[in-house]
Amino acid sequence: MDIRAHVSMVFHLDKCIGCHTCSIACKNIWTDRKGTEYMWWNNVETKPGTGYPTLWEDQDKYKGGWERGKNEKIHLRLHNRLGGLTNLFYNPYLPTIDDYYEPWTYDYENLFNAPEGDDQPTARAISMITGKPMDNIEAGPNWDDDLGGSPLYARNDVNLDELSEGEREQLNEIERVVFFYLPRICNHCLNPGCVAACPAGAIYKRGEDGIVLISQEKCRAWRMCISGCPYKKTYYNWASGKSEKCILCYPRLESGQPPACFHSCVGRIRYLGVLLYDADKIVNCASVPEQDLVAAQRDLIQDPFDPQVIQSARANGVPDAMITAAQNSPVYKFVKKWQIALPLHPDFRTVPMLYYVPPMLPVLAKMENGNYDIAGLDKENLPAMLSSLEKARMPIKYMASMFSAGNVKIVEEVYRKLIAVRIFKRAQKVKDYQPAEVEAALAQGKTNAEEVEAIFRLTSLPTYEERFVVPPLGREISIEALERPLDRKQATGFGIRSQTPKREF
Amino acid sequence: MVENVKPPSIPRYFLFLLTLTGILIFIASTFSVVAAMGPAQAADGATVFKEKCVGCHTIGGGKLVGPDLAGVTERRTKEWLTKWISAPDQMLAAGDPTATELFNTYNKIAMPNLQLTPDQVAAVIAYMGSGETTTASSAVALPPGDANAGRAYFVGDLHFANGGPHCMSCHSISGVGSLGGGNLGPDLTINGYSKYGAGLPAFLASPATVTMNAVWKNTPLTPQEQADLFAFLQEASVSQRAPDTLLLIAGLAILGAAALIGLAQLRWSRRLKGVRKPMIERTLAAKKR
Repeated sequence: MDIRAHVSMVFHLDKCIGCHTCSIACKNIWTDRKGTEYMWWNNVETKPGTGYPTLWEDQDKYKGGWERGKNEKIHLRLHNRLGGLTNLFYNPYLPTIDDYYEPWTYDYENLFNAPEGDDQPTARAISMITGKPMDNIEAGPNWDDDLGGSPLYARNDVNLDELSEGEREQLNEIERVVFFYLPRICNHCLNPGCVAACPAGAIYKRGEDGIVLISQEKCRAWRMCISGCPYKKTYYNWASGKSEKCILCYPRLESGQPPACFHSCVGRIRYLGVLLYDADKIVNCASVPEQDLVAAQRDLIQDPFDPQVIQSARANGVPDAMITAAQNSPVYKFVKKWQIALPLHPDFRTVPMLYYVPPMLPVLAKMENGNYDIAGLDKENLPAMLSSLEKARMPIKYMASMFSAGNVKIVEEVYRKLIAVRIFKRAQKVKDYQPAEVEAALAQGKTNAEEVEAIFRLTSLPTYEERFVVPPLGREISIEALERPLDRKQATGFGIRSQTPKREF
Repeated sequence: MVENVKPPSIPRYFLFLLTLTGILIFIASTFSVVAAMGPAQAADGATVFKEKCVGCHTIGGGKLVGPDLAGVTERRTKEWLTKWISAPDQMLAAGDPTATELFNTYNKIAMPNLQLTPDQVAAVIAYMGSGETTTASSAVALPPGDANAGRAYFVGDLHFANGGPHCMSCHSISGVGSLGGGNLGPDLTINGYSKYGAGLPAFLASPATVTMNAVWKNTPLTPQEQADLFAFLQEASVSQRAPDTLLLIAGLAILGAAALIGLAQLRWSRRLKGVRKPMIERTLAAKKR
């Protein structure tokens, strides 16, 4: 038993309205510098869709993450050691700028300076790469949501591969069109592909909180991390010649504040909390067969109230404030206690520490006498709401492909519980369900009234303090003995090159 | 504001120091070579002649690379001799008629500037006027040479007994492989036996040029090695390089480049050639069908 602490995250997709406030908060703080124009450390995707960069989930193309070999051990999909050496100066699996998008701004000055004419002046799109006007904008950071168009983009979503031809065709019928939003930041994985792929040893995972960082001093721009990360969440800064990624706003965490994207989230979908995990189990967790991946990851997370766990954590130097935070962690509740939050693409085997509560799927309705009708019993004599999983517009297999490596049973269990919460609260407020039906729903969801009430409260009515439970991190205090924290703060970070060794040859 | 910037870490200094040390060692070794050649040792004419002159000249032993010096002090004035021995290159450049004539007579091999001190020049002139005679140091007593062994010495398959560098590190010659040898010294295909002729063994025994002298002074060839090398040079040295050699090198280079490019194409044949555009094209094509 080797217990360590990890600052982990839950995104509740049912609450995401796709407003991109998180992306803008992040952009304004971190990626408005030269060389970072195309980067979105936080981006929001529309699903089904191909995402950003295009088809990032397709590892046949990008070779990200880990693969389970015939010897039941995992290895990087990108390359072995010899392959890494021969590809060192030329990494063949990098996304091109076209696969992200050509970043642009608008010629706002023209609105003020244009000479008098017959027409209203316009602000043309100006490429941030060439500086020239762009007549054709062909892609954007959320092209699926803008006007990319489903037929061209969404139908290429790799998660649709599991669906039959008929199911896929139905998704395009006008009455069945369905989508949801997927906000993504760095997952701060426990078994990160980017760290394993870096030839320079520049990427590291902080011991005290698990944040994955790229040392701006050690990075040598090999760009293997970009290929190694299956989520494509490390980016190359062409101006500084270094790779960059989400830093979970650790300077904000230092004083106990949540990251900017968490803080600014309009739908309050984001939860931040500490998980205690057993580091001895990481290798096994990443190596089990596909259908066991989610269970293994749940098994990795330890009960923060267990005296043995607390003792082992203390022995590893985890401060008491961290342990207390772990006991109050909303992430622990969603992921381990209630088991309704799932990792995104556990099949990449990086053991991501960002979990998603899947969205309630809209159910099919029939048009009858000019009204939509979702009521009525189905053939198993279940009320419509109870059986809504079977009537979901988006096949459950799609969700399983995203959140449980194809294990449909796990996703079903999550949905049964979420449906139970919905029916329980509806019975309380609207009173259109009979007590027997509520009982049936609770039984199907393998839950009880007390748990349902708790899930409801943390989902719908959480306070700031309940959503973000992390103690102030002690980095600045702990480096005091070695250097002066204020000087360190001013002399390190993105774009500061005083410490960067020059090329010698 | 930033008053206490962390000093650069040790490894960067280390690399700098290592480079500096390397440069210093190089400079020091260069100086020691120069120092070994230049300074005024006891100006003993016989020693100077033996060290510097016998590679090309005899006194009363016949022509080698250069003329027999018997009676030279009577043929030429002392002033002329002093000037010539001190700086033959300058005299040739200045177009001195006697010097030019000698240069043309002796296969256009220029006498090198041996960088002798004025003391040494005076001593060696005195020695030449003293009536002593010398013979070609090696030509007389050379044992029969083996061209194959000479080739092995040239390319480095056999090592010289006294540890001298093998010839190929500085010189090229026909018959040692298509790519030839080093480029630091002249190509011996043209500048070898065909130019020096019978004077070559004497030159091998005690090379007179500044560069060769510095290299070989402390690691002289044994008579057997001289004989083997001479035999090889006699065989391999022709007045012209075989005309197809350049073509061969060019051909090899082109073939090699083609092979490397082909290998790279093969190795990276599965590289990612963009994702978004091909996806759109594929989807559009499928729609048309």
